[in-house]
Formats: sequence, structure tokens, C-alpha cells
Amino acid sequence: MVMRIARKELLEMTRDGRFRVAGGIVVLLLLTALGLGWHRHADVTAAHEIAIAQEREIWESQGEKSPHSAAHYGVYAFKPTGRLAFIDPGTEAYTGVTVWLEAHKQNQFLYSPARDGNTLQRFGELTAATVLQLLLPLLIILLAFSAFAGERESGTLRQVLSLGVRRSDLAVGKALGVAGGLALLLVPASLLGAAALTAATADSASGGLMRTLLLAGVYLLYLGAFVGVTLAVSARAPSARFALVALLGVWVFVCLAAPRAATDLAKALYPTPSAQEFAAALAEEREAGIDGVDYDDFLEARKEELLAVYGVDEVEALPINYSGWRLQVSEEYSNQFFDSHYARLWDQFETQDEFRQKLGFAAPLLGVRSLSMSLAGSDFAHFRWFAEQAEQYRRQLVAFLNDDMRDHAGAASFSYIKDQQLWSEAPAFAYDAPGPLWAVSGQSAALAALVLWPMLSAFLAWGAAARLEAY
Amino acid sequence: MLEANGLTKFYGSFKALDSLDLLIEPGQVFCLLGANGAGKTTTINLFLNFIEASSGEARVHGLEVAENPLETKKYLAYIPEQVMLYRNLTGLENLEYFTALAGHEDYSRDQLCGFLIEAGLSEETVDWRISAYSKGMRQKVGIAIAVAKKAKALLLDEPTSGLDPKASTEFSELLKRLSGEGVAVLMATHDLFRAKETGTHVGIMNQGRLVARLTTEEIGHADLERLYLEHMRG
Repeated sequence: MVMRIARKELLEMTRDGRFRVAGGIVVLLLLTALGLGWHRHADVTAAHEIAIAQEREIWESQGEKSPHSAAHYGVYAFKPTGRLAFIDPGTEAYTGVTVWLEAHKQNQFLYSPARDGNTLQRFGELTAATVLQLLLPLLIILLAFSAFAGERESGTLRQVLSLGVRRSDLAVGKALGVAGGLALLLVPASLLGAAALTAATADSASGGLMRTLLLAGVYLLYLGAFVGVTLAVSARAPSARFALVALLGVWVFVCLAAPRAATDLAKALYPTPSAQEFAAALAEEREAGIDGVDYDDFLEARKEELLAVYGVDEVEALPINYSGWRLQVSEEYSNQFFDSHYARLWDQFETQDEFRQKLGFAAPLLGVRSLSMSLAGSDFAHFRWFAEQAEQYRRQLVAFLNDDMRDHAGAASFSYIKDQQLWSEAPAFAYDAPGPLWAVSGQSAALAALVLWPMLSAFLAWGAAARLEAY
Repeated sequence: MLEANGLTKFYGSFKALDSLDLLIEPGQVFCLLGANGAGKTTTINLFLNFIEASSGEARVHGLEVAENPLETKKYLAYIPEQVMLYRNLTGLENLEYFTALAGHEDYSRDQLCGFLIEAGLSEETVDWRISAYSKGMRQKVGIAIAVAKKAKALLLDEPTSGLDPKASTEFSELLKRLSGEGVAVLMATHDLFRAKETGTHVGIMNQGRLVARLTTEEIGHADLERLYLEHMRG
């Protein structure tokens, strides 16, 4: 019975000009978005591969110089974009995927607050995620707003109810009909997307298959919630026109107003410093030191320890190169401030993200957006994962060069020259991508909201259908 | 087959139907006459359980409709003034859908076509979309649904209003045939002539009350008209 109803809904839909036009437009946009995303992803990946290969070569062939000059010469580290980032590029456009690693300082990743952007910007960049998150709900509303209200207006509902059809069968059948209509549009696009995924080059975000399946599940739950809410409103609305207006109101709230408000609210509640303020605060604290222990005090204490270890009275008597040792001490002093300042800043961004996730209980888009970026490996958490690894690598590389100078420079000190042999012995950056479970572990609020919403909307639709009136 | 006992419906303080007692046996065609707002459609909606009775009960095949909303509908077929169908489906697809929903999913295409042709549609029109159907053609699909459903009781709400005389006559013929086969019919109508022709019984309603009831055999057309107008002035 339910399948019979679903089949009729689907048949009507495919003969309806509105469905063909709206569906066609959405599919076209989705394919365009996938194409653009694919193109962007292929471009970036290819550029990265070349850059990574060349970067090492440039590093190794930098010529003869002192190790400390080499540390200033620096290297670039590249965050490989995950395969799924072509569906949802997330924050990568704002956070960037490249960082320059050099001696003395942890370079800032410019973290643009335009990350969540205003809604116009979000529309401006056409991604598959935008189509799935914003346009498909609109399509569902257009397909199903008249499901009950329209049939009641035209009188066919009375005809159907006079046959003794269970109202719940009618609701489930209609839901399946809409699902079938969406499948008709989305399955070909999804297959194309899946083919593109399989064809994608090296998968950097590990657990690619699981991430893909979870991502598909997330979007199915999200779209399911919209089907339920649309049917519930259609069943209770006094007219089809009323249902349409009410549902468009819901869409504007969930898809336009809530994300904007969430971003503004998150910024207001959990403010973050501007890039300049951040740099100034960092420099100021580095100057002042911790608990009155500034760099000179820090160096003095470490020097006493060093002299004690070697049992000598002055640095000239040390068997090691003092300048090389001191460079490393200076690194270690600065690193404390990088650690605390960046942790504070990034914690704050994560608090903002969590806050937005929690608002997903009010507007499921926020939950799905967060999960989508996370599974695509393009959210802030993945950025931070990369940035922290890059910083660890920077410290490792700089320490390697300082230690070489300390142990081998002797009296030559800064005139001590090394060549390619040392550069090629220096560690290379290897990015260790997080797994899918790590990705969702920070998404508990978004997940809860995204599971709750379809259940709630199914409950609403069920209740509304049970009280369905013939007139 | 159709039975009302003290059936009453209030809309706020307005009494739309006032303690209606009615019994329609298989094979009987009971025509409800009356002005707009007399309570005819309310009666039919109560039998369909589309609205809830304020007091009294409606029974179909001995079952109380409010308590057995799905079971009682198995025996019923409903043909309103305008049989509303799905515009983007063909006549045949509509019939197939509605009969499937009524629980008859096993009809072949030929059988379904047969019902439509029997109801008076020509063979080439069964595959037309409903949007191309005239009102008379849609009423015929409604009849085909009722026949295919094997309903034991028909609830007709001014089914012939707006039909041309030929279509109207064909409709009456069909109704006679069905009642001959033992179907009970309750028909609300304005058409005194049609009531006299097809009905076995006639009831006149005014302001929610059934003010007169008689068998069509015991009265001529002129007398029916006189009686009707008397009650309307009432």
C-alpha cells in the first residue's frame, strides 16, 4: 500500500513541469559544483605534489651556508587536501593550506573570520556542499509543500480518505515518494561524484571510504528531517499557499538567518583577537617573560646548568659551540609563548565551533555544516591538526640545525659552513592524517542534533498525519 | 446497509443536522432533497466519518463509523458533486490507483478498462490525462471506482449537477443497475425529476431536519414538487 502510494507520487512528480524544471536546475548546479570542486581539487593536489617534490629539492640544493642561515632559509609545509574536500572545501579557502616554517618564530596562519562568511559569500562560492545544504531543502519544500494541503484543496484527499486508507500509510507513502524523486535526481549525480572520488589521486585524509559513507549518512539524515517537517506542515496547514509560505519561512530561518546569526553570536560571545592584536600580545609577553623571568633570566639559568654539567666556569671553556646552544635555548624560550598563545587562540576558535554546533539543535543546518566540513577534513579541527604537526616539525628541523652547529661548529661559530649532505640528512615533513573517528569525535553536539532532528520531524509528520482532516 | 440513529451535528451553536433517523436497505435508492444548507452534505460527511457527530450514530453494514473508520469504508463508495482526480494521471491510472488504495490491487489493465467503458467512457479516452477530461467524464471515473471497489453502499452528493441531460440519464441508468444488484444508495440532490426517476425513496430536509419521507411509487412528479415547495416555505 505504502509503495503503491509512493509510486503514484513519483509518477505525478515526474509529469509535473515544476519538478522537472526545479529538479533540473538543482541537478545542473550540483554537477557544476562537483565539476568546479573536482577541478579545484585536482589543481591544488597537482600543485601540492609538484611543490612538495620541489620544496625538498630546493632545500637540499640551497648551497653551502651555516646551519643557522639554513634555518632562516626555511621550508614550506603543505596541508594535503582530502579527497572529500572537493565536495566541501570548508574553511580551507580562508585558513589556507600552506605555512612557511623558519627559525625563531611560529608563523601565523591567517585565520580569517570570514570563515563562516556571510550568507551572500556562501552563495557566491558554489560547492556541492552548498547545493546539498541549502538548495536541496528548498527543492524538498517545493516538491512536498502541497502533499496534503494541495490534495485537501483540490478534493482528492477526500476521495482518498473515503477509500479507507490509513493516514499513516499515506504519510509514509508520500515521504517515500519525495525520497524517490530526490533519488531520481541525486543518484546519477552521486554516482558521478563517487566515480570522481575513486579516480582522485592519493587520499590524504585517511579512512576515505568510511568518511564518504558517514558524509552520505549525514546528508540523508539532514534531508530526511526536511521531508518530515515539510509533510507535517503540509498536513496541518489550512491551505497549500499557507504551507508554502510557512515552509519558506522555516527555510529562511534554518538556511540563511541561523548560520549568519550563529557566526555573529559566536564571535560576540567568544571574541578572538585580530592578527595584529595577536602578534602584538605575543611579542609583548615574550618581552616581559613569565612570572618576571624574561629571556635574559631564562638564558642565565640555563647557562648555569650547562656550565655545571660540563664542570667549567665560563662559556669559552665549553667543549661545544656556545652560540649554537644558545640559539636552541632562544627557540625553547619563544616556544613557550607560541604554545600558550596559539593554544588560547585555537581553543577559542574551537569554542566558537562547538557553540555553532550546539545551535544545530535550533537549526539543523549548523550541525550538518559542521559535520560535513569535519568529514571532508576541511574544518578548523583538521587545520589545527595540521598546523600543530607543522609546528612540531619546524621545532624538530630548527633543533636539528642548531644541534649540528652546537656539536660541530667549534670556534668557527657562525662562519661554520655546511653543504648538501647535512641538508639531505635533515628530517622531512610527513603529514599524518587523522582518521574518521577522530574527525567525528569533536562533533558530538552536531551529531546529536542531526540524529534528533529527523526523529523529531518524523514524529511531527506522524502526529500531523494522524490528525489529517478531509476538509 | 446505511443507518442513522438520532444523528446530530452542531457547528458551534448552529444545528446542521437534527436527530436524523434513517435506514437504507440494499437495493434502495434514498434521495435527500433540500435547499443548500439543509444538512444533506453533513449527513454524507458523517457517514464518511469526515466529521464527528455531536450525538447519535451512523452505521454502515451494522458498524458504527466513528469506531470503525477504516472497516466501514470498505463498504462505501463516495461520489461528490465534482469527482476530484489527479490531473497529471490518466483516467486509467487514476482508477488503478484508487482501486489499489481500496484494497483491490489485482485487477488487470483489461478489467480496469472494462470498468471505465462500463461507466460510459469511450475506449480511446481512458489513456487521456484527467486535465483533458470533462466534468461528465470525471464523474464516470468516479462511478468506475465505485463499481471496481465492489461497494455495498454509495454516498452521492449531487453527483449529476452540472451534467448535460444525456450524461445525467446515463448516470441514472447506472444507478438503477447497481441498485438492482443490491447496492444501497444515499443521494443528495436538487433534481426533483431525477429523484423521482431513480429513487425508491425520497426525503425532504429543511434546516437540518428530515421533514418528510415517502416512497417514489406513492407520489407523482407534480405532487413531489408541490410537497417540496410547501416544506421549503415551511
